[in-house]
Parts: sequence; C-alpha cells; structure tokens
Amino acid sequence: MSISAPPAYDRPYRAERAAFLWLLEREVVRFLKIWRFTIAGQSLSALLFLIVFGFALSGRITGIGGIPYDRFILPGLVVQAVIMVGYINGTTSLFEARHDRYLHDVLASPLRWWEINLALVLGGVVREILTAAGILVIAVPLTGIGVQRPLVTSVAALALLISAAQVGVLAGAYSTSLDHVYSIEALVVLPLGFLSGIFYSTSRLPEAWNVLSHLNPILYYVEALRSGLLGHGSLPALAALAAAVGGAALLSGWSLLVFRSGAQLKP
Amino acid sequence: MSGTSTAPPALSVRGLTKTYDGGFTAVRGLDLEIRDGAFFGLLGPNGAGKTTLIGAVCNLLRPTAGEIRVFGHEHGTREARSLVGLAEQEINLDRFITTEKTLVYHAGYHGIGRSEAWRRARELLELFDLGGKARTRPTELSGGMQRRLLLARALMHRPRLLILDEPTAGVDVELRAELWQYTRRLHALGTTILLTTHYLEEAEALCEEIAFLRGGLIIARGSAQALRDRFGARDIGEVYARAMASQEGAAVAA
Repeated sequence: MSISAPPAYDRPYRAERAAFLWLLEREVVRFLKIWRFTIAGQSLSALLFLIVFGFALSGRITGIGGIPYDRFILPGLVVQAVIMVGYINGTTSLFEARHDRYLHDVLASPLRWWEINLALVLGGVVREILTAAGILVIAVPLTGIGVQRPLVTSVAALALLISAAQVGVLAGAYSTSLDHVYSIEALVVLPLGFLSGIFYSTSRLPEAWNVLSHLNPILYYVEALRSGLLGHGSLPALAALAAAVGGAALLSGWSLLVFRSGAQLKP
Repeated sequence: MSGTSTAPPALSVRGLTKTYDGGFTAVRGLDLEIRDGAFFGLLGPNGAGKTTLIGAVCNLLRPTAGEIRVFGHEHGTREARSLVGLAEQEINLDRFITTEKTLVYHAGYHGIGRSEAWRRARELLELFDLGGKARTRPTELSGGMQRRLLLARALMHRPRLLILDEPTAGVDVELRAELWQYTRRLHALGTTILLTTHYLEEAEALCEEIAFLRGGLIIARGSAQALRDRFGARDIGEVYARAMASQEGAAVAA
C-alpha cells in the first residue's frame, strides 16, 4: 500500500542518489526530448551561415590574414551558436520554472542552493556541447580546420561554455516577463554576437569602430577560440583568454550570489 | 522509530514576520506550534497570511524575521525539507515532463533512488487513479486529475508533515470526498496535517484543532467545540464570523 506510516523525525538526511544528479538529469531530458529544435536546429543555423558566407560567397571574399574565409568565420559561428543556446536554455528552463511556479518543487526539496545553480548551469553546458559538436562534426571536414593551440582552445572553450550557460541562468533569474526574455535576446545577445568580429577582423576596422568593438564582451570569446583553433587572431591570445576566463568567473560569482541570496527566486 | 509522545512539535514558528518588497507586511510576529500527529486547520480570509506562512515554512520565500523549526530541525536544513510535503493551492506542475516523471523527479529531488522512485510513482499513480495518464503531460490532464497529481507528488517522499493549501479549491464533491479519505488515512498512520481551506464545515469535520488567521496574526485557536463555546456559536461558520468581527480580529486588521 502506498499510504504508509511516515518516517522517523530524527533520522539524518541521506540520499540514495544525489538530488543534484536528478535535477541535472531533468534539465538534460527536457531539451533532449525536443532535440530537433534544441540541438539540430541551432547547429543548422550556424552551418547555414558557414555555407552561405564561407562557401557560396567565397569567390567574392578573400581570406583574412592568409586564412581561408570559411576557416576564419567558423570559430565565431561556434561562439555565436553556443551563446545563443546557453541563453535560450537558461531562460527557458529557469524563467518558465519561476513563471509556472514548479520551481517550488525544487526550492522546497532538500536540494541546496548551489546544487540548483550547478545543475541548471551544467544542463546548459551539456546542450551547448551537443550543439557545438553538431556544427563541428560537419564543419571540420568541410573547412579542414584544425586545432593549432590545444591549451588555448580548451581554456577558451571552457570559459565560453560556462559564460554562455551563466548568462542564460542569470537572464532566467532576473526576467519578469517573456517580453524581457525575448527583448534581451533580440536587442542585446544577437546584435552583440554579430558585432563581435565573427565575419571580420576588428583590427581592420576604422579606429573608432575598433575601440567600440573592444567594449563588446563576446569579441574576447571569439578571439580566444580563434587563437586556439587558427593559431592567431586580432587580439593577443593571452589577453583574449584572460578576458574570457575573467568573464566566466564574474558571471559565475554573480550567479552564485543570486542563488545564495534567493532574491530573484523567492519573494 | 521515535515515539509520538517524545517528538518535538511538527511545526514551531516563533516571531515570524514577512514584509514583501512593496512594503506589505503579510505576517507580523506570528507564533504557532503544531504537535506531532495533529490534524490542524488554518482558516482566514484571503490575504490573511496563510500562504505566506506556508511559503516561509517550505522555503519558498525569505522571511523578514523569526524562527521556523520542523520537528526540531531548522526549516532550511535538508532534514527539515525531507520531512515536509506540500500541495499548493495553485496548480504548479512541470509542463516539460510527463505525469509519471513529475512524481519520479520529485522523489529524486528528495534523494530517493531510481528504482524506489519508479516503484512509488507507479503505486501512487494507481492509488490516485492516474495510471492511464502516466505518459501524459500534466497540462493535458483535467483540473481534477491535476489536483490529484499535486497530492500524489506531495506524498512521494513520505513526508511526516503534510501541508495542504486549499487542496479542494475548485474540486467537485466526489473528488473532494476522495481527497479527504486519503488525507484521513495518512493522518491515522501518523502524518501531521496542516490544512488551509475556505470550506469551514470541512475544517470542522477533519481538524482536531483550528486556528483563525487575520492580518498576519492568529486571533483564535482551539478545537471546534472549544471555539464554539468561546464564541457562543452553533457552528464553525458562526465562530468564524464572530472571530473576524471580534476586537482581536478588528485590531489586527486595522
């Protein structure tokens, strides 16, 4: 019979399976159930940019700095796709959970604040990795791109994955309406992505635009990954990498503070 | 297992105050103690502070001041969280997952292992007559089914204190009778029940003790009989009306 006597009040809490793993599983299952949209669709968008700009128009666009144009734009397209996916995943998951109040089921459970934060972020990271893999599995043979600096590539990729997932989680925590969610995506995330030097080298821009470009945080992720994959970029690799890692640390710290205080999650 | 007689109170609230960001104080200096094994009713008009009190106990809001203990455990601890089950007034079901997974993941959030979570989910789905809807998303269930699923979810981790916030709001007579039947069985087995309802006759029939809440404070408390005697009333409806109109009720509402 399911209705049974309740357990003792003084037994210590002991998990048979970590609650954190259950929440992470739920986060991953959520987007895998609709993988055509959440993974394939996002990968395809980036691949279409590569095909149109890198191949269809390649006759009209010469390479940049001796690098074929399709290879030059690929790191930026991956960055753009990862940031969009991280943003969409975090907002969809956390904003919807807050809006429909099923977040209460998590908040009322023995899950600790940092476990909730970590599960949401890692859920986003898994989706980002699958999306990036979906792009690279086709784009690498097409472009012949390789990894020139493995360490720089690894650190840049890690910083990118964490930052993108944290941006999504933070936007999901702060947004108070769907209008907020979509406005930030359309007016902030998307324009910053396109103006981050994906399709051009910022060092070739007029001085004023070059300076303005350096205020765009996404530029540093693009340049860091480009330096790792192609061997060099418009910015020194270490400077771009430091900015990307610093961005990831800053966003992670901010996100942890939000979850620790609970201010955006609980009235 | 610890005996009921030696158990600390199922719920102990001391000096609870909650002032929302807009400046509205929903509860102010509230004290409340509910013994282990009680069937306790909390009655009051809309805005009296019932849902705020429940939210504070269940870690759904940030109290401004006060102390809350669940069976002696500070309410934010994992021990306390694992002892409380909550079925909220509003339907708040995860629309991304199926009915059966709603139950399985809830169990998981409470640290229950996979095989036990699935076994218990199947049992509760059958018990609440939802077995045929296991793979349906909660948004596709009828209102009555959603209400049953909320109660099943609250029971998945076998809570020792079950909080039911307006569980029969908008529920038909037949389902209401079923829900009370389940709740009575749980109580008979030792589960402490904290119930809020607008159906006064239900509170009188089910609860061993009733408290009236108004303006964030408890203005009267006792068994239904004791309250009838105190207010010179024939039934609990009359008690309610007189309590709310009493000096204490008027003072806290002012």
